[in-house]
Amino acid sequence: MSEMGSVDDIKVEDLNLWYGEKQALYNVSMKIPKNSVTALIGPSGCGKSTFLRCINRMNDLIKGCRIEGKIHIDNKNIYDRDVDVVELRKNVGMVFQKPNPFPMSIYDNIAYGPKIHNVKKNEIAPIVEEALKGAALWKEVSDRMDTSALDLSGGQQQRLCIARTMAVKPEIILFDEPCSALDPISTNKIEDLILELKKDYTIVIVTHNMQQAARISDYTAYFLLGELIEFGETKQIFENPQEKSTEDYITGRFG
Amino acid sequence: MVRERYLGNLEKLKQNVITMGHLSMQMIDDAQVTLDKVDKELADKIIQADERVDNYEYEIEKCSADLLALQQPMAKDLRLIITSYKIAIDLERMSDMAVDIAKIVKNMDDDVVFTYSDLDNIFILCREMVANTIKAYEDGNVELARKTAESDDIVDQKFYKGWDSLVRMMISSSAIIPNATDLMFVLRYLERIADHTCNICESIIYMQTGERIDLN
Repeated sequence: MSEMGSVDDIKVEDLNLWYGEKQALYNVSMKIPKNSVTALIGPSGCGKSTFLRCINRMNDLIKGCRIEGKIHIDNKNIYDRDVDVVELRKNVGMVFQKPNPFPMSIYDNIAYGPKIHNVKKNEIAPIVEEALKGAALWKEVSDRMDTSALDLSGGQQQRLCIARTMAVKPEIILFDEPCSALDPISTNKIEDLILELKKDYTIVIVTHNMQQAARISDYTAYFLLGELIEFGETKQIFENPQEKSTEDYITGRFG
Repeated sequence: MVRERYLGNLEKLKQNVITMGHLSMQMIDDAQVTLDKVDKELADKIIQADERVDNYEYEIEKCSADLLALQQPMAKDLRLIITSYKIAIDLERMSDMAVDIAKIVKNMDDDVVFTYSDLDNIFILCREMVANTIKAYEDGNVELARKTAESDDIVDQKFYKGWDSLVRMMISSSAIIPNATDLMFVLRYLERIADHTCNICESIIYMQTGERIDLN
């Protein structure tokens, strides 16, 4: 487990977010250390996915969404005016709840990102192979790269999406309930993969599965009604949380 | 209330520990009487009660394993389960000490009865420690657990003093050696009971606060 206070990758300061009139996040501040897995937990509607989407400015796409506060990545506030959002999202990849491969071949799915970021054609094939190996999918698909990605199983599709994210070489990968549509075997594979990935990436994951949060994360943040209630080492949060509300949630007293 | 069955099982676990605690306490009480009166019938009852204690320990172990495997308990619930299981082990050992005292009484001669005057006080002190420990567990009372463990030092002092006295008495009168040796064992068992009580107090503090401390 990473030590608290190691190099911070993401620094969030007084983040507030409104959807129109409705405030969804209140003064959220936290420091997410580099090369760690941080789990965001909390009951539905607590703001955890909203918060996750702030980290690569996905909320910019929602009409009426207003954000105040700062998120520093590599000491640069990603909400500064001069930030190139396309470049930001290349650096901060995202994997969603439901696997969403493009309706094209396995190869083209992975090659898509490097292509639009103007990677030279002869450099793309090694990137595709490396990404598929990194996502623990290479052995299963290396002999059928030209078949449609939609023919893969749900778990394979999700690993394909992770490989697609890795192909543009981000620093941070955000996961929004990546296993909720998968069976337990595929879930195990994704969890193993996430543990493997943290060597090279900083990972933030939203999950409704508390056992999953406990199994794979180094740090856990508990959200309730748009507020960050508690943030700490996962072991401490699950064995001895300091806030009663955290205790009530993780022991199933409510939520 | 959410997860009613789960909470019910947690409560059942806790009640089992409390009942087991009362049973161990009764065995220690009986051990004092059986020794005092050389009551061999009562000694038999203590020996028989050991099976009930073992059953409680088994039941608590099973209940803890089921809760861990099926409910994935967290935080204070997790600590309650771990603690209860550990306490059951300490209680079982304490009951074994009472059984050992009963076995000594069973082998005692009826006519040669020799006593050590402070023994009753040590019994009372240990009994009070056990009673307070069970209460502290029941109420989650950290202060009571802490305070109870402090008595261990007094028991230790009395143990060493008693041990010395018995050795001196044996030197001066070899006739009492068989009896005095028995009493030395009894002293040792009582000292061990107090140690187990301390372990339980540590467990209670962990259960309530999440902090591990050494009270021994």
